[in-house]
Amino acid sequence: MENQNPEGSDPKIHIQPPRWADRLLEWFIAPHLLEFIQGDLHEAFYHTAASAGVQAARREYLWEVMHCLTPFFYKRKPFTTYPRPSMTAMLQSYLTTARRNLAKNKLYTSINVFGLALGMACTLLIGMWVADELSYNRFLAGAADVYLVRINGTNRNTGEIGTAEITPAPLQEAISKDVPEVAAATKINPWMELLVKVGEKGAKEKGYYASDAFFDVFDLPALHGNPRAALSQTNQIIITGKMADKYFPNTEALGKTIQLNNEKFYVVGAVLKDLPAASTLRFDWIVNWKEQEQPWQKTWGNSSFLTYVRLRPNTSAARAEATMKGIFPRYTDKENTSVPILQPITDVYLYADYKMGKPVGGRIEYVRVFSLVAGFILLIACINFMNLATARSATRAKEVGVRKVVGAFRSALIGQFLCESILTSMLAVVLAVGTVWITLPVFNELFAKKLALDLSDPALWAATLILTLITGLLAGSYPALFLSSLKPIKILKGRLQFGSGPALFRRTLVTFQFCLSIFLIVGMLTVGKQMQYLRTKHLGLDRDNVVYVPLEGNVASGPKMEAFRQEIMRQPAVVSATVTGMLPINIQATSGDLSWPGKDPNLETTVTAMTVGPDFIRTMNIRLVDGRDFRAGSLADSSAYLINEATARLMGVSNPVGKEIKFWKGNGRVIGVMKDFHMSSLHQAITPLVVTYIPENSSYLLIKTRQGKTEEALAALKKVTRDFNPDYPFTYHFLDEEYESLYRSEQQVNTLVNYFGILAILISCLGLFGLAAFTAEQRTKEIGVRKVLGASASNIVGLLSSDFMKLVVIALVLASPLAWWALSTWLDTFAYRTGLSWWIFAVSGVVATSIALLTVSFQAIKAAWVNPVTSLRSE
Amino acid sequence: MKRTVLGELEELVLLVVAASTEQVYGVPVMQQLKVHTGRDFSIGAVHTTLYRLEEKGFLSSSVGGATSERGGRRKRLFAITAAGAQALAEIRGMREGLWQEIPAEKLKLLGL
Repeated sequence: MENQNPEGSDPKIHIQPPRWADRLLEWFIAPHLLEFIQGDLHEAFYHTAASAGVQAARREYLWEVMHCLTPFFYKRKPFTTYPRPSMTAMLQSYLTTARRNLAKNKLYTSINVFGLALGMACTLLIGMWVADELSYNRFLAGAADVYLVRINGTNRNTGEIGTAEITPAPLQEAISKDVPEVAAATKINPWMELLVKVGEKGAKEKGYYASDAFFDVFDLPALHGNPRAALSQTNQIIITGKMADKYFPNTEALGKTIQLNNEKFYVVGAVLKDLPAASTLRFDWIVNWKEQEQPWQKTWGNSSFLTYVRLRPNTSAARAEATMKGIFPRYTDKENTSVPILQPITDVYLYADYKMGKPVGGRIEYVRVFSLVAGFILLIACINFMNLATARSATRAKEVGVRKVVGAFRSALIGQFLCESILTSMLAVVLAVGTVWITLPVFNELFAKKLALDLSDPALWAATLILTLITGLLAGSYPALFLSSLKPIKILKGRLQFGSGPALFRRTLVTFQFCLSIFLIVGMLTVGKQMQYLRTKHLGLDRDNVVYVPLEGNVASGPKMEAFRQEIMRQPAVVSATVTGMLPINIQATSGDLSWPGKDPNLETTVTAMTVGPDFIRTMNIRLVDGRDFRAGSLADSSAYLINEATARLMGVSNPVGKEIKFWKGNGRVIGVMKDFHMSSLHQAITPLVVTYIPENSSYLLIKTRQGKTEEALAALKKVTRDFNPDYPFTYHFLDEEYESLYRSEQQVNTLVNYFGILAILISCLGLFGLAAFTAEQRTKEIGVRKVLGASASNIVGLLSSDFMKLVVIALVLASPLAWWALSTWLDTFAYRTGLSWWIFAVSGVVATSIALLTVSFQAIKAAWVNPVTSLRSE
Repeated sequence: MKRTVLGELEELVLLVVAASTEQVYGVPVMQQLKVHTGRDFSIGAVHTTLYRLEEKGFLSSSVGGATSERGGRRKRLFAITAAGAQALAEIRGMREGLWQEIPAEKLKLLGL
């Protein structure tokens, strides 16, 4: 409207100071001064115009403007020179408010920060562990084209497909010759740990005998020399930088001589860069395959080696597999069902378990489980934050109301609450990184890892930042969205009735939290129970009080070996001793050579096989169902066999002792039937086993010592070994320790689950503690009134605790079936396992309930003991 | 108390502010100065002086109402502070002291 314009009806509107002079003024004068000086100038202009005319006024105006062109008017205020980014003031205000709020409620803040820090520390640790697990073999150049060859064999009796990692040696030549998709193929004998000697220095070192194309498949970087050229020579050895530093400190290793196994000398032909820890290849030296090749290795019937291939870049694994299909029928017999399959080298570590010829899992399951656990723990910590925020929403609601009345938008309130939670999570992340820093050495020791907190790694920073933001946003989402939506009029009139919504939400969260905790407790107990079962299960052979030493040097074979064994048997602390090709607790060789007169030609007879010397049954304390042990020096035993009950069942013979069978030593008789014993980890079922008497083929001497005389036995063992084998350092191992190492990953899972389970419960309790403290504080008056009216302290404790107890019970009911399902699935990976008993759930329930009760009742008792006078006087 | 040196214009402006009973801002100060001294002062010079005095703590300012003849622009209104009044009193005392020291005969000779 016209008259609302201050200049609208004023005739002076047409008389104006010169435009350009005004513009000059506006450009020249500092903004904070402009309005006032220009106003004054205009006022003076109109005065003059009215009294002396427009012309004079214009002239005077110009004159005045000129007078203003001084440095005083030009100088800008400092902060206006550098304009601040928009919203700085707003963010600053958020930060200030957040800081004040956090400082005001120290108990809640510290519960929040501490809980979040614990959760984040777990997440960071597990995250680092997961990243390390996933990085296995990715360091290899061109890893995408490298594959491990596995063999799928169909059992003709049952139709089951078994997948083997070990392959027969001729497979590599066949693949190189027949499969055009393969650029290079190599095989290794990976089970070697030989005595390495340089001058006086000597120790056992792990290494591979590898065929020619090894470095074409694995393009490993060399520090010195040419590894390809070195491997093509049979008199050269390739070593790692670590070994070079150990045996040739401060000198060039190249061209130096190394003695292997106290026999042959090799010239160092190349030094490789050390392999990273995240590698399935583990060796310190490599020597040409031919240096260890024996006639039996050229047969298709014996598998003991690993075969790797590198494919040509323009082909695919599926195509190569299709070409490989015909290899076994072509080279062995037509009926052979074995099919080579390829597994990407980057999957070898994580997907080692095959079912029906397809990878179904392996360590990846643990990676998944722990990622999940990390997520759970973080979630529990976030729930704490949300819970406390909702609980305190009544207090915060007033603040929200006032803010809204004075004009805060909802978005501003959301910003403020998120700012608060992000600030909390930033505090927490600093604590968390510190915690990780401190606990990392312990963690590394427990899990045999070499993780490091590399602060120069941008990925770590990015991960931490993302973690902080996600946690902050997640934890702050509920208060931000819920509280900011409240209607100010209701809040300020005091008519704000929180419906059952927030309370229900809070209860749901607490229940959920305890579901997770109970789940983890059940997990802890079950994994622990299974581990206990594995550790104590009677295997069918003795593993306690059994020591073994490797057979090497002078006593590696021949009459000296038997003399050595005899000498050890003579020691008073020794019960018995035997020699074996493999450790009977982990027999990893199969053979398809078994046959017997009248065998159904279609019957699949792949059996587990091992070679032993005399007194095997006696030393290992295996029960014989029938027949006898191998006898030392008995000529009749040179072509005799021991079988287990599973083999007897396979043959379908009720009384196999004395029956003739054909195996590694040709035709021979079965002299004994062993009661089935476990010959590898309890993940695997017991399979048919044939034990052949070939003492020359032995790698280990197993010694059963007298109960409680281990010390004496070891001392005697050391003395005898020194006498017989002075060139080798004396080493020994306990069979039960070796057995436990079969379950290393289960052991680690057990430890991880225990630690993180306890942490999860701790964090849950922290939240519960805060919640209980808050409830008690809210109900101070009510408690006071109740006490005045005669309620006892126990009444009040019960009153305050029962609310929370209900939730824990609901959580127990909800979590149990879930935990039951998840853990039965895990237990199913063991062929032999304990059951899930009802007491596990009962114990979990009791533990969870009592922990919750302890947490809550601490607050409840505190509240109940307060003198009602004090509580009623409050406010 | 540390004596602050005031320039002539500064002293005049301070006196004008002290004397004024109306709203004090650039234009009236300039008009008063003209009335009392007969000299033309530019608005720029007046403003500069006002701000200087404010910086020295002798004046305080606030933002005041707008009028149509100013194109809706607000005024910066000035008021004398206690320190300003004190400074004026000191200058006056100093001047009076100096007057007192002029001998009576000399005053007569000078025709005063």
